[in-house]
Amino acid sequence: MRALSIAATGMQAQQTNVEVIANNLANMNTTGFKQQRAEFQDLLYQNIEQPGAQTSDSGTVLPTGIQLGAGVRTAAVARIMSQGDLSSTSNPYDLAIQGSGYFHITMPDGTDAYSRAGNFALSPEGQIVTDKGYTVAPGIAVPSTATSVTVNAQGQVQASVPGQTAPQTLGQLELVRFPNEGGLSAQGDNLFTETTSSGSPQAGVPGSAGYGTIQQGFLETSNVNPVEEITSLITAQRAYEMNSKVVTAADDMLQTTSRMGGS
Amino acid sequence: MVQITPSRHASPGKVFHHAFGDVWETQENQHISAGTSAARKTDTEDQKGSDGAMDNTLLVSLSSQLASYRSMDVIANNIANINTAGFKRDTVKFEEYIQNVTPAEGEVGAQAISFVADKGTSRDLTEGAITRTNAPFDMSINGRGYFTINTPNGPRYTRNGHFALDQDGRIVTEDGNALQGDGGDLTVTTDDGDIHIAQDGTVTGIRGQIGKVQLVSFDNESALVKEGDSRYITTQTATPVESPNIQQGTLEESNVKPVVEISKMLEVLRAYQTTASLTESQQELERNAIDKLAETQS
Repeated sequence: MRALSIAATGMQAQQTNVEVIANNLANMNTTGFKQQRAEFQDLLYQNIEQPGAQTSDSGTVLPTGIQLGAGVRTAAVARIMSQGDLSSTSNPYDLAIQGSGYFHITMPDGTDAYSRAGNFALSPEGQIVTDKGYTVAPGIAVPSTATSVTVNAQGQVQASVPGQTAPQTLGQLELVRFPNEGGLSAQGDNLFTETTSSGSPQAGVPGSAGYGTIQQGFLETSNVNPVEEITSLITAQRAYEMNSKVVTAADDMLQTTSRMGGS
Repeated sequence: MVQITPSRHASPGKVFHHAFGDVWETQENQHISAGTSAARKTDTEDQKGSDGAMDNTLLVSLSSQLASYRSMDVIANNIANINTAGFKRDTVKFEEYIQNVTPAEGEVGAQAISFVADKGTSRDLTEGAITRTNAPFDMSINGRGYFTINTPNGPRYTRNGHFALDQDGRIVTEDGNALQGDGGDLTVTTDDGDIHIAQDGTVTGIRGQIGKVQLVSFDNESALVKEGDSRYITTQTATPVESPNIQQGTLEESNVKPVVEISKMLEVLRAYQTTASLTESQQELERNAIDKLAETQS
């Protein structure tokens, strides 16, 4: 009875689907979070009778064969990279990227990570760091005497220092792009790392061709659409139920079989 | 003892092809015809005392039960793929296999026995609903046609329009096989910015046209063989679709209709149970016959 195992693959797939949806909903208010979606593919088919097999000497062929499927599998959990809304926070160290690109973060162990979440702050040493305290590359230090810090659309960080009329340029933020953003590996804490499938990072100045611009005092909200997620959740739940009905029906058939001739 | 197997290849029988749209209607008809013909034969042959009659009922039931098992497998696969983009549901077609009965001496009106055999699975090619995903490389095909993808084993065809980029910027499927345009692989670089895919398949970035997604069609779509992973394989020649209609940012859902599948599933289940009870009645009949015969003998 193949139906039992086929229905089991269906239930597993829907479970993955619900898990992905649950994660999206849980991260509805996570800065820079990108919605994920489970993608499914049918499993291998067993050819009992090949379509097009010859049925007589005169060349007549089977118009359709017999192909039995083996169920479904989760092919990918794809990330949807669309832009999230920008919400105003008025915090000078909250930066949002409008358009494509990632902030370049240097991890404590010296490796590179990338993030869309621009909720930065200052470290005790005055460096611009993430909410976890990791340095935002190239590591811009803000003097303690600075009265106000401005980050323009091109990523230039400037500070007004008492006693100076012209603002002092502190550094230049860079953005990083990838040939295939979907291939980045999510590390949690809103961080991504490079993989073979993402391709190598290409750094550039914000606002140059193909790179997004930086908005100071804004945060990019997650691009999760709750209505869409709830609808998907209902569909997934119903699909799960239906697969479990197949299990029940297959079980009924097997029970009938085992009762046959039993009396 | 007549050896009968519900196989189309056993020689003395004739095969009748039923081209009914609704598969289960076909099978129900066969239940009835199988039941009646076998019963009539039992009447005549009991008097003659010839062999085979009782086993025929069991074998006819068995052929029907095997068919039910296969139907259940196909329905289970449809339901399992209810969320698989571009999936087309399968239905099982049955045919009647007729075993001619050589009349016993002096017997008139001997009837053929009909068995059920599964003839094939046919694909429902209707379009699935279109759902919006807003992913830039998700495409759905409105109307006929298939995407061509280049796999290590040669070209394959699919209607699952979920594509993404790989590390070289090629538009690829979930398995990393490249989508084919009119000039081969479609490669997008990071300098192309936002990608727009027009209705006719033209892929453009901010630097201009990148290529054109090629849709193909076939003379006999139902003869495409499912390979799993949403792919089809065929030896037929692929002809480019003249006026393609591609929708960017959408996916074609599976065309499995839950109501249809669940009701078919129940039908199969009931048919199976009915046949099983028929088998039991037959056994009961045999037991009674043995008892009665034993009484007369003593």
